[in-house]
Amino acid sequence: MTALQQANVLGGRALRDSLRTPEAIVPTLFIPMFFLVVNFGQAGRIFTSDSTGFLFGQSYAAFTLPSSLLLAASFGTAALFLIEDIEGGYFDKLRAAPVARTSLVFGWLLAEAVKSAVITVALVLLSLPFGISIASGPLGLVLLIALTAAWAVVFAGFMQLIALKTRSAAATNSGGLIFFPLLFLTPNFVPRDLLTRPMEIAATFNPVTYVMEALRSLILRDFEWVAVSRGFAVVAVLGVVMLVLNVRLIRRYD
Amino acid sequence: MWVGRAKVPGMKLAVEAEGLVKQYQGRSGTVDAVRGVDLSVEAGEVFGFLGPNGAGKSTTIKMLTTLMSITAGTARVADLDVTAEPQAVRRRIGVALQEAGLDARQTGRELLILQARLFGASKHDARARATELLELVDLVEAGDRRIKGYSGGMKRRLDLASALVHEPDVLFLDEPTTGLDPASRLTVWDEVRRINELGTTVFLTTQYLEEADQLCDRIAIIDDGLIVREGTPRRLKEDLRERHGLDAEPTLDDVFLDATGRTRERAAGEVQEVTV
Repeated sequence: MTALQQANVLGGRALRDSLRTPEAIVPTLFIPMFFLVVNFGQAGRIFTSDSTGFLFGQSYAAFTLPSSLLLAASFGTAALFLIEDIEGGYFDKLRAAPVARTSLVFGWLLAEAVKSAVITVALVLLSLPFGISIASGPLGLVLLIALTAAWAVVFAGFMQLIALKTRSAAATNSGGLIFFPLLFLTPNFVPRDLLTRPMEIAATFNPVTYVMEALRSLILRDFEWVAVSRGFAVVAVLGVVMLVLNVRLIRRYD
Repeated sequence: MWVGRAKVPGMKLAVEAEGLVKQYQGRSGTVDAVRGVDLSVEAGEVFGFLGPNGAGKSTTIKMLTTLMSITAGTARVADLDVTAEPQAVRRRIGVALQEAGLDARQTGRELLILQARLFGASKHDARARATELLELVDLVEAGDRRIKGYSGGMKRRLDLASALVHEPDVLFLDEPTTGLDPASRLTVWDEVRRINELGTTVFLTTQYLEEADQLCDRIAIIDDGLIVREGTPRRLKEDLRERHGLDAEPTLDDVFLDATGRTRERAAGEVQEVTV
Protein backbone atom coordinates (compact mmCIF):
# COMPACT_ATOMS: atom_id res chain seq x y z
CA MET A 1 0.00 0.00 0.00
CA THR A 2 1.45 3.35 -1.03
CA ALA A 3 1.79 6.29 1.33
CA LEU A 4 -1.01 8.04 -0.57
CA GLN A 5 -3.37 5.09 -0.15
CA GLN A 6 -2.50 4.91 3.55
CA ALA A 7 -3.20 8.63 3.92
CA ASN A 8 -6.51 8.07 2.15
CA VAL A 9 -7.47 5.23 4.48
CA LEU A 10 -6.49 7.27 7.54
CA GLY A 11 -8.29 10.31 6.11
CA GLY A 12 -11.48 8.26 5.76
CA ARG A 13 -11.25 7.20 9.36
CA ALA A 14 -10.59 10.80 10.47
CA LEU A 15 -13.60 12.03 8.52
CA ARG A 16 -15.78 9.33 10.07
CA ASP A 17 -14.59 10.41 13.52
CA SER A 18 -15.36 14.05 12.71
CA LEU A 19 -18.87 13.24 11.49
CA ARG A 20 -19.49 11.25 14.67
CA THR A 21 -18.62 14.31 16.73
CA PRO A 22 -21.19 16.87 15.53
CA GLU A 23 -20.62 18.93 18.67
CA ALA A 24 -17.17 19.75 17.25
CA ILE A 25 -18.61 20.79 13.87
CA VAL A 26 -21.50 23.00 14.99
CA PRO A 27 -19.28 25.80 16.43
CA THR A 28 -17.25 25.92 13.21
CA LEU A 29 -20.47 26.85 11.42
CA PHE A 30 -22.23 28.89 14.09
CA ILE A 31 -19.42 31.21 15.25
CA PRO A 32 -18.32 32.37 11.75
CA MET A 33 -21.97 32.93 10.84
CA PHE A 34 -22.43 34.90 14.03
CA PHE A 35 -19.47 37.14 13.12
CA LEU A 36 -20.87 37.67 9.62
CA VAL A 37 -24.25 38.75 11.00
CA VAL A 38 -22.70 41.00 13.66
CA ASN A 39 -20.21 42.65 11.29
CA PHE A 40 -22.88 43.23 8.67
CA GLY A 41 -25.34 44.48 11.31
CA GLN A 42 -22.83 46.97 12.70
CA ALA A 43 -21.35 48.35 9.48
CA GLY A 44 -23.87 47.46 6.77
CA ARG A 45 -25.48 50.91 6.86
CA ILE A 46 -22.16 52.75 6.84
CA PHE A 47 -20.84 50.83 3.85
CA THR A 48 -23.78 50.64 1.47
CA SER A 49 -23.47 49.05 -1.94
CA ASP A 50 -24.43 52.15 -3.89
CA SER A 51 -22.02 54.49 -2.14
CA THR A 52 -19.05 52.25 -1.36
CA GLY A 53 -16.70 51.61 -4.26
CA PHE A 54 -14.83 48.68 -2.68
CA LEU A 55 -18.04 46.65 -2.50
CA PHE A 56 -18.38 46.52 -6.30
CA GLY A 57 -22.17 46.69 -6.06
CA GLN A 58 -22.57 43.98 -3.41
CA SER A 59 -23.57 44.25 0.25
CA TYR A 60 -21.04 44.69 3.05
CA ALA A 61 -21.71 41.07 4.01
CA ALA A 62 -19.93 40.01 0.81
CA PHE A 63 -16.89 42.04 1.88
CA THR A 64 -16.77 40.50 5.32
CA LEU A 65 -17.57 36.91 4.25
CA PRO A 66 -13.86 35.96 3.76
CA SER A 67 -13.21 36.73 7.45
CA SER A 68 -15.93 34.27 8.40
CA LEU A 69 -14.67 31.65 5.94
CA LEU A 70 -11.14 31.94 7.31
CA LEU A 71 -12.39 31.81 10.87
CA ALA A 72 -14.32 28.62 10.09
CA ALA A 73 -11.20 27.13 8.52
CA SER A 74 -9.06 28.00 11.52
CA PHE A 75 -10.55 25.90 14.28
CA GLY A 76 -7.90 23.23 13.72
CA THR A 77 -10.04 20.49 15.25
CA ALA A 78 -7.84 17.90 13.53
CA ALA A 79 -5.12 18.67 16.05
CA LEU A 80 -7.50 18.12 18.94
CA PHE A 81 -8.51 14.74 17.55
CA LEU A 82 -4.80 13.97 17.21
CA ILE A 83 -4.30 14.83 20.88
CA GLU A 84 -7.07 12.36 21.73
CA ASP A 85 -5.25 9.72 19.69
CA ILE A 86 -2.01 10.47 21.51
CA GLU A 87 -3.58 10.48 24.97
CA GLY A 88 -5.62 7.35 24.30
CA GLY A 89 -2.66 5.39 22.92
CA TYR A 90 -4.10 4.96 19.42
CA PHE A 91 -1.40 7.17 17.93
CA ASP A 92 1.23 4.71 19.18
CA LYS A 93 -0.79 1.89 17.66
CA LEU A 94 -0.60 3.63 14.29
CA ARG A 95 3.09 4.43 14.74
CA ALA A 96 3.77 0.76 15.42
CA ALA A 97 2.18 -0.17 12.08
CA PRO A 98 4.16 0.04 8.81
CA VAL A 99 2.55 3.35 7.92
CA ALA A 100 4.55 6.08 6.20
CA ARG A 101 5.13 8.91 8.65
CA THR A 102 3.84 11.37 6.04
CA SER A 103 0.57 9.43 5.91
CA LEU A 104 0.19 9.77 9.67
CA VAL A 105 0.43 13.54 9.20
CA PHE A 106 -1.80 13.64 6.14
CA GLY A 107 -4.68 11.52 7.47
CA TRP A 108 -6.19 14.16 9.70
CA LEU A 109 -5.23 16.98 7.32
CA LEU A 110 -7.12 15.35 4.43
CA ALA A 111 -10.20 15.07 6.61
CA GLU A 112 -9.77 18.70 7.62
CA ALA A 113 -9.67 19.74 3.95
CA VAL A 114 -12.88 17.84 3.12
CA LYS A 115 -14.63 19.14 6.23
CA SER A 116 -13.56 22.70 5.48
CA ALA A 117 -14.80 22.43 1.89
CA VAL A 118 -18.24 21.31 3.09
CA ILE A 119 -18.40 24.05 5.75
CA THR A 120 -17.37 26.68 3.19
CA VAL A 121 -20.19 25.64 0.88
CA ALA A 122 -22.62 25.74 3.82
CA LEU A 123 -21.44 29.23 4.83
CA VAL A 124 -21.74 30.54 1.27
CA LEU A 125 -25.27 29.14 1.05
CA LEU A 126 -26.20 30.63 4.44
CA SER A 127 -24.82 33.98 3.26
CA LEU A 128 -27.03 34.19 0.18
CA PRO A 129 -29.91 35.89 2.04
CA PHE A 130 -27.49 38.75 2.80
CA GLY A 131 -27.35 39.57 -0.90
CA ILE A 132 -24.03 37.85 -1.55
CA SER A 133 -23.13 36.40 -4.91
CA ILE A 134 -19.87 34.98 -6.19
CA ALA A 135 -18.89 37.45 -8.91
CA SER A 136 -16.25 35.15 -10.40
CA GLY A 137 -18.87 32.48 -11.18
CA PRO A 138 -18.79 28.70 -10.68
CA LEU A 139 -15.04 28.41 -11.29
CA GLY A 140 -14.50 31.20 -8.80
CA LEU A 141 -16.61 29.31 -6.27
CA VAL A 142 -14.48 26.21 -6.78
CA LEU A 143 -11.33 28.28 -6.24
CA LEU A 144 -12.88 29.88 -3.17
CA ILE A 145 -13.62 26.47 -1.68
CA ALA A 146 -10.17 25.13 -2.63
CA LEU A 147 -8.32 28.09 -1.14
CA THR A 148 -10.31 28.03 2.10
CA ALA A 149 -9.79 24.26 2.43
CA ALA A 150 -6.07 24.69 1.74
CA TRP A 151 -5.88 27.32 4.47
CA ALA A 152 -7.68 24.91 6.82
CA VAL A 153 -4.94 22.36 6.10
CA VAL A 154 -2.20 24.92 6.78
CA PHE A 155 -3.74 25.99 10.06
CA ALA A 156 -4.50 22.43 11.16
CA GLY A 157 -0.88 21.61 10.28
CA PHE A 158 0.27 24.41 12.56
CA MET A 159 -1.98 23.14 15.35
CA GLN A 160 -0.72 19.58 14.79
CA LEU A 161 2.81 20.87 15.35
CA ILE A 162 1.79 22.16 18.77
CA ALA A 163 -0.05 18.90 19.47
CA LEU A 164 2.94 16.73 18.54
CA LYS A 165 5.37 18.93 20.45
CA THR A 166 3.39 19.42 23.65
CA ARG A 167 1.05 16.38 23.61
CA SER A 168 -1.30 18.58 25.60
CA ALA A 169 -4.89 19.46 24.71
CA ALA A 170 -4.69 22.67 26.75
CA ALA A 171 -1.53 23.87 24.99
CA THR A 172 -2.93 22.98 21.58
CA ASN A 173 -6.17 24.81 22.29
CA SER A 174 -4.28 27.88 23.44
CA GLY A 175 -2.06 27.74 20.37
CA GLY A 176 -5.15 27.97 18.20
CA LEU A 177 -5.98 31.35 19.68
CA ILE A 178 -3.04 32.80 17.76
CA PHE A 179 -5.37 33.07 14.78
CA PHE A 180 -7.42 35.85 16.37
CA PRO A 181 -4.65 38.48 16.34
CA LEU A 182 -3.76 37.34 12.83
CA LEU A 183 -7.38 37.74 11.71
CA PHE A 184 -7.63 41.25 13.11
CA LEU A 185 -4.28 42.37 11.68
CA THR A 186 -5.80 42.12 8.22
CA PRO A 187 -7.98 44.39 6.10
CA ASN A 188 -11.04 42.54 7.40
CA PHE A 189 -13.25 45.63 7.86
CA VAL A 190 -11.97 47.88 5.05
CA PRO A 191 -9.49 47.43 2.17
CA ARG A 192 -5.80 47.69 2.96
CA ASP A 193 -5.37 51.17 1.46
CA LEU A 194 -7.95 52.57 3.89
CA LEU A 195 -6.17 51.25 6.99
CA THR A 196 -4.08 53.52 9.22
CA ARG A 197 -0.38 53.32 8.36
CA PRO A 198 0.67 51.08 11.28
CA MET A 199 -2.21 48.69 10.59
CA GLU A 200 -1.41 48.68 6.89
CA ILE A 201 2.20 47.73 7.63
CA ALA A 202 1.09 44.98 10.01
CA ALA A 203 -1.43 43.67 7.47
CA THR A 204 1.19 43.67 4.72
CA PHE A 205 3.43 41.38 6.79
CA ASN A 206 0.55 39.12 7.77
CA PRO A 207 0.14 36.15 5.39
CA VAL A 208 -3.56 35.87 6.25
CA THR A 209 -4.07 39.23 4.48
CA TYR A 210 -3.23 37.72 1.09
CA VAL A 211 -5.51 34.73 1.56
CA MET A 212 -8.32 37.06 2.63
CA GLU A 213 -7.75 39.39 -0.33
CA ALA A 214 -7.77 36.44 -2.74
CA LEU A 215 -11.07 35.17 -1.32
CA ARG A 216 -12.52 38.65 -1.40
CA SER A 217 -11.52 39.21 -5.01
CA LEU A 218 -13.28 35.96 -5.98
CA ILE A 219 -16.47 37.08 -4.23
CA LEU A 220 -16.56 40.74 -5.30
CA ARG A 221 -14.94 40.82 -8.71
CA ASP A 222 -14.39 38.83 -11.82
CA PHE A 223 -11.05 36.99 -11.83
CA GLU A 224 -8.30 39.18 -10.47
CA TRP A 225 -5.49 36.75 -11.06
CA VAL A 226 -2.78 38.63 -9.21
CA ALA A 227 -4.71 38.59 -5.94
CA VAL A 228 -5.86 35.00 -6.42
CA SER A 229 -2.36 33.75 -7.29
CA ARG A 230 -0.89 35.56 -4.29
CA GLY A 231 -3.39 33.85 -2.00
CA PHE A 232 -2.64 30.41 -3.39
CA ALA A 233 1.12 31.08 -3.30
CA VAL A 234 0.99 32.03 0.40
CA VAL A 235 -0.99 28.89 1.22
CA ALA A 236 1.33 26.71 -0.87
CA VAL A 237 4.48 28.03 0.84
CA LEU A 238 3.00 27.77 4.33
CA GLY A 239 1.61 24.33 3.47
CA VAL A 240 5.04 23.03 2.48
CA VAL A 241 6.59 24.51 5.63
CA MET A 242 3.94 22.92 7.85
CA LEU A 243 4.27 19.57 6.10
CA VAL A 244 8.07 19.50 6.41
CA LEU A 245 7.94 20.50 10.09
CA ASN A 246 5.20 17.96 10.85
CA VAL A 247 7.06 15.10 9.18
CA ARG A 248 10.30 16.07 10.94
CA LEU A 249 8.56 16.16 14.28
CA ILE A 250 6.75 12.88 13.80
CA ARG A 251 9.99 11.14 12.76
CA ARG A 252 11.65 12.33 15.97
CA TYR A 253 8.62 11.57 18.09
CA ASP A 254 9.68 9.38 21.02
CA MET B 1 -7.56 -15.17 1.61
CA TRP B 2 -5.08 -12.48 2.56
CA VAL B 3 -2.35 -13.44 4.97
CA GLY B 4 -0.43 -10.55 6.47
CA ARG B 5 2.86 -12.16 5.62
CA ALA B 6 4.62 -15.46 5.98
CA LYS B 7 6.53 -16.26 9.15
CA VAL B 8 10.27 -15.83 8.98
CA PRO B 9 11.65 -19.26 8.10
CA GLY B 10 14.37 -20.53 10.40
CA MET B 11 14.10 -17.64 12.83
CA LYS B 12 15.75 -18.75 16.07
CA LEU B 13 15.80 -15.60 18.12
CA ALA B 14 12.65 -13.54 18.02
CA VAL B 15 14.16 -10.77 20.14
CA GLU B 16 17.80 -10.03 20.72
CA ALA B 17 19.08 -6.99 22.60
CA GLU B 18 22.57 -6.07 23.63
CA GLY B 19 23.45 -3.24 25.97
CA LEU B 20 20.15 -1.49 25.37
CA VAL B 21 20.22 2.00 26.88
CA LYS B 22 17.61 4.73 26.99
CA GLN B 23 18.40 8.15 28.34
CA TYR B 24 16.25 11.22 28.13
CA GLN B 25 16.44 14.75 29.37
CA GLY B 26 14.25 15.37 32.37
CA ARG B 27 13.81 18.66 34.23
CA SER B 28 16.48 17.68 36.71
CA GLY B 29 18.96 16.45 34.11
CA THR B 30 19.60 13.20 32.27
CA VAL B 31 17.39 10.30 33.27
CA ASP B 32 18.63 6.74 32.73
CA ALA B 33 15.43 4.84 32.07
CA VAL B 34 17.17 1.69 30.79
CA ARG B 35 20.83 1.19 31.65
CA GLY B 36 22.11 -1.68 29.54
CA VAL B 37 19.65 -4.48 28.95
CA ASP B 38 20.67 -7.74 27.30
CA LEU B 39 17.86 -10.03 26.21
CA SER B 40 17.38 -13.02 24.00
CA VAL B 41 13.97 -14.51 23.35
CA GLU B 42 13.70 -17.67 21.31
CA ALA B 43 11.16 -18.01 18.54
CA GLY B 44 7.96 -19.64 19.81
CA GLU B 45 8.46 -18.68 23.46
CA VAL B 46 6.15 -16.80 25.77
CA PHE B 47 8.61 -14.48 27.45
CA GLY B 48 7.66 -12.52 30.54
CA PHE B 49 9.29 -9.20 31.32
CA LEU B 50 8.67 -8.27 34.93
CA GLY B 51 9.59 -5.38 37.14
CA PRO B 52 8.24 -2.82 39.55
CA ASN B 53 6.67 0.43 38.35
CA GLY B 54 9.24 2.64 36.69
CA ALA B 55 11.79 -0.17 36.34
CA GLY B 56 12.08 0.26 32.57
CA LYS B 57 9.65 -2.37 31.23
CA SER B 58 7.56 -0.09 29.05
CA THR B 59 10.59 1.86 27.87
CA THR B 60 12.28 -1.37 26.79
CA ILE B 61 9.18 -2.59 24.98
CA LYS B 62 8.82 0.79 23.24
CA MET B 63 12.42 0.60 22.01
CA LEU B 64 11.91 -2.94 20.74
CA THR B 65 8.74 -1.97 18.90
CA THR B 66 10.31 1.07 17.17
CA LEU B 67 8.20 3.50 19.16
CA MET B 68 11.15 4.98 20.97
CA SER B 69 14.66 5.73 19.81
CA ILE B 70 17.55 3.72 21.26
CA THR B 71 20.24 5.79 23.00
CA ALA B 72 22.87 3.03 22.90
CA GLY B 73 23.12 -0.69 22.25
CA THR B 74 21.46 -2.80 19.58
CA ALA B 75 18.17 -4.58 19.21
CA ARG B 76 17.00 -7.13 16.64
CA VAL B 77 13.42 -8.29 16.36
CA ALA B 78 12.38 -11.07 13.98
CA ASP B 79 15.93 -11.06 12.62
CA LEU B 80 15.76 -7.37 11.74
CA ASP B 81 17.68 -4.43 13.17
CA VAL B 82 15.19 -2.18 14.94
CA THR B 83 17.07 1.03 14.25
CA ALA B 84 18.12 0.31 10.67
CA GLU B 85 14.90 -1.31 9.41
CA PRO B 86 12.03 0.03 11.49
CA GLN B 87 9.35 -0.34 8.78
CA ALA B 88 10.31 -3.98 8.14
CA VAL B 89 10.19 -4.65 11.89
CA ARG B 90 6.70 -3.08 12.09
CA ARG B 91 5.48 -5.52 9.43
CA ARG B 92 6.52 -8.47 11.60
CA ILE B 93 5.38 -7.40 15.02
CA GLY B 94 2.06 -6.91 16.73
CA VAL B 95 1.81 -4.42 19.55
CA ALA B 96 -0.74 -3.99 22.33
CA LEU B 97 0.46 -1.37 24.76
CA GLN B 98 -0.46 -0.65 28.37
CA GLU B 99 -3.40 1.60 27.49
CA ALA B 100 -5.61 -0.25 25.02
CA GLY B 101 -4.78 1.87 21.97
CA LEU B 102 -8.19 2.18 20.35
CA ASP B 103 -10.24 4.85 18.66
CA ALA B 104 -13.40 4.93 20.75
CA ARG B 105 -15.49 6.54 17.98
CA GLN B 106 -15.03 3.58 15.63
CA THR B 107 -16.77 0.24 15.88
CA GLY B 108 -14.67 -2.81 16.67
CA ARG B 109 -15.09 -4.02 13.10
CA GLU B 110 -14.09 -0.67 11.58
CA LEU B 111 -10.99 -0.55 13.72
CA LEU B 112 -9.88 -4.02 12.65
CA ILE B 113 -10.61 -3.32 8.98
CA LEU B 114 -8.56 -0.12 9.15
CA GLN B 115 -5.68 -1.92 10.82
CA ALA B 116 -5.72 -4.69 8.20
CA ARG B 117 -5.83 -2.11 5.39
CA LEU B 118 -2.77 -0.36 6.85
CA PHE B 119 -0.96 -3.69 6.70
CA GLY B 120 -1.78 -3.98 3.01
CA ALA B 121 -5.01 -6.00 2.87
CA SER B 122 -7.59 -5.22 0.19
CA LYS B 123 -11.00 -3.98 1.35
CA HIS B 124 -12.51 -7.43 0.85
CA ASP B 125 -9.72 -9.26 2.67
CA ALA B 126 -9.67 -6.70 5.47
CA ARG B 127 -13.39 -7.30 6.07
CA ALA B 128 -12.90 -11.06 6.10
CA ARG B 129 -9.95 -10.79 8.50
CA ALA B 130 -11.91 -8.50 10.82
CA THR B 131 -14.75 -11.05 11.02
CA GLU B 132 -12.25 -13.82 11.71
CA LEU B 133 -10.59 -11.85 14.50
CA LEU B 134 -13.88 -10.79 16.07
CA GLU B 135 -14.75 -14.47 16.28
CA LEU B 136 -11.32 -15.26 17.74
CA VAL B 137 -11.72 -12.78 20.60
CA ASP B 138 -15.43 -13.45 21.05
CA LEU B 139 -16.63 -9.99 20.03
CA VAL B 140 -18.86 -10.87 17.08
CA GLU B 141 -22.01 -9.48 18.69
CA ALA B 142 -20.31 -6.28 19.79
CA GLY B 143 -18.35 -5.86 16.57
CA ASP B 144 -20.66 -3.27 15.04
CA ARG B 145 -21.01 -1.21 18.19
CA ARG B 146 -18.84 1.80 18.92
CA ILE B 147 -15.83 1.01 21.07
CA LYS B 148 -16.68 3.70 23.61
CA GLY B 149 -19.43 1.39 24.90
CA TYR B 150 -17.09 -1.57 25.42
CA SER B 151 -16.06 -2.81 28.86
CA GLY B 152 -12.39 -2.83 29.86
CA GLY B 153 -12.09 -6.54 29.06
CA MET B 154 -13.69 -6.12 25.64
CA LYS B 155 -11.31 -3.27 24.83
CA ARG B 156 -8.32 -5.39 25.81
CA ARG B 157 -9.49 -8.26 23.63
CA LEU B 158 -10.11 -5.95 20.70
CA ASP B 159 -6.67 -4.40 21.19
CA LEU B 160 -5.21 -7.88 21.15
CA ALA B 161 -7.11 -8.70 17.96
CA SER B 162 -5.89 -5.52 16.28
CA ALA B 163 -2.32 -6.55 17.06
CA LEU B 164 -2.94 -9.83 15.24
CA VAL B 165 -4.42 -8.65 11.92
CA HIS B 166 -1.26 -9.43 9.96
CA GLU B 167 -0.33 -12.63 11.82
CA PRO B 168 2.84 -11.21 13.38
CA ASP B 169 5.95 -13.22 14.17
CA VAL B 170 6.36 -11.51 17.50
CA LEU B 171 3.57 -10.14 19.65
CA PHE B 172 4.44 -7.51 22.25
CA LEU B 173 1.93 -7.14 25.07
CA ASP B 174 2.52 -4.43 27.64
CA GLU B 175 0.60 -5.31 30.81
CA PRO B 176 -2.26 -6.88 28.88
CA THR B 177 -4.41 -7.64 31.93
CA THR B 178 -3.85 -4.61 34.12
CA GLY B 179 -7.17 -3.35 35.42
CA LEU B 180 -9.17 -6.37 34.28
CA ASP B 181 -11.49 -8.43 36.43
CA PRO B 182 -10.44 -12.06 37.08
CA ALA B 183 -12.75 -13.50 34.41
CA SER B 184 -11.49 -11.12 31.73
CA ARG B 185 -7.93 -11.84 32.78
CA LEU B 186 -8.45 -15.56 32.29
CA THR B 187 -9.92 -14.91 28.85
CA VAL B 188 -6.86 -12.90 27.84
CA TRP B 189 -4.61 -15.68 29.15
CA ASP B 190 -6.45 -18.18 26.99
CA GLU B 191 -6.03 -15.92 23.97
CA VAL B 192 -2.32 -15.54 24.62
CA ARG B 193 -1.90 -19.32 24.86
CA ARG B 194 -3.88 -19.85 21.69
CA ILE B 195 -1.86 -17.24 19.78
CA ASN B 196 1.36 -18.79 20.99
CA GLU B 197 0.22 -22.27 19.94
CA LEU B 198 -0.22 -20.89 16.42
CA GLY B 199 3.49 -20.12 16.36
CA THR B 200 3.68 -16.50 17.44
CA THR B 201 6.36 -15.53 19.91
CA VAL B 202 4.87 -13.55 22.79
CA PHE B 203 6.83 -10.93 24.70
CA LEU B 204 4.74 -9.67 27.58
CA THR B 205 5.28 -7.36 30.49
CA THR B 206 3.23 -7.80 33.59
CA GLN B 207 3.10 -6.86 37.23
CA TYR B 208 1.09 -9.95 38.06
CA LEU B 209 3.49 -12.69 39.00
CA GLU B 210 0.81 -15.34 38.89
CA GLU B 211 0.26 -14.36 35.27
CA ALA B 212 3.92 -14.80 34.49
CA ASP B 213 3.95 -18.14 36.30
CA GLN B 214 0.93 -19.38 34.35
CA LEU B 215 1.88 -18.13 30.91
CA CYS B 216 5.59 -17.71 30.50
CA ASP B 217 8.23 -20.21 29.42
CA ARG B 218 10.95 -17.85 30.62
CA ILE B 219 11.02 -14.56 32.45
CA ALA B 220 13.39 -11.70 33.05
CA ILE B 221 13.10 -9.27 35.94
CA ILE B 222 14.18 -5.69 35.39
CA ASP B 223 14.84 -3.26 38.19
CA ASP B 224 16.14 0.27 37.95
CA GLY B 225 16.85 -0.18 34.25
CA LEU B 226 18.87 -3.40 34.59
CA ILE B 227 18.03 -7.09 34.28
CA VAL B 228 18.44 -8.65 37.70
CA ARG B 229 17.10 -12.17 37.08
CA GLU B 230 16.49 -14.29 34.03
CA GLY B 231 15.38 -17.91 33.59
CA THR B 232 12.39 -20.24 33.73
CA PRO B 233 9.95 -19.60 36.60
CA ARG B 234 10.73 -23.07 37.98
CA ARG B 235 14.48 -22.64 37.93
CA LEU B 236 14.31 -19.17 39.45
CA LYS B 237 12.25 -20.54 42.34
CA GLU B 238 14.61 -23.50 42.83
CA ASP B 239 17.57 -21.17 42.76
CA LEU B 240 16.02 -19.01 45.48
CA ARG B 241 15.25 -22.05 47.63
CA GLU B 242 18.80 -23.34 47.29
CA ARG B 243 20.41 -19.98 48.00
CA HIS B 244 18.32 -19.33 51.10
CA GLY B 245 17.99 -22.94 52.23
CA LEU B 246 14.19 -22.71 52.33
CA ASP B 247 12.08 -25.71 53.28
CA ALA B 248 9.02 -24.75 51.28
CA GLU B 249 8.87 -24.04 47.58
CA PRO B 250 9.09 -20.25 47.14
CA THR B 251 6.62 -18.46 44.91
CA LEU B 252 7.46 -16.19 42.02
CA ASP B 253 6.51 -13.35 44.37
CA ASP B 254 9.40 -14.38 46.60
CA VAL B 255 11.72 -14.43 43.60
CA PHE B 256 10.52 -10.99 42.57
CA LEU B 257 10.93 -9.52 46.05
CA ASP B 258 14.33 -11.10 46.38
CA ALA B 259 15.41 -9.59 43.08
CA THR B 260 13.94 -6.14 43.53
CA GLY B 261 13.15 -5.65 47.21
CA ARG B 262 15.15 -5.39 50.38
CA THR B 263 15.08 -8.97 51.44
CA ARG B 264 18.67 -9.42 50.52
CA GLU B 265 21.54 -7.27 49.46
CA ARG B 266 21.48 -6.87 45.75
CA ALA B 267 24.37 -5.64 43.76
CA ALA B 268 23.22 -3.15 41.15
CA GLY B 269 23.50 -4.58 37.71
CA GLU B 270 24.06 -8.11 38.90
CA VAL B 271 22.51 -10.62 36.53
CA GLN B 272 22.00 -14.20 37.51
CA GLU B 273 21.45 -16.32 34.46
CA VAL B 274 19.64 -19.48 35.44
CA THR B 275 19.49 -22.23 32.89
CA VAL B 276 17.37 -25.35 32.86
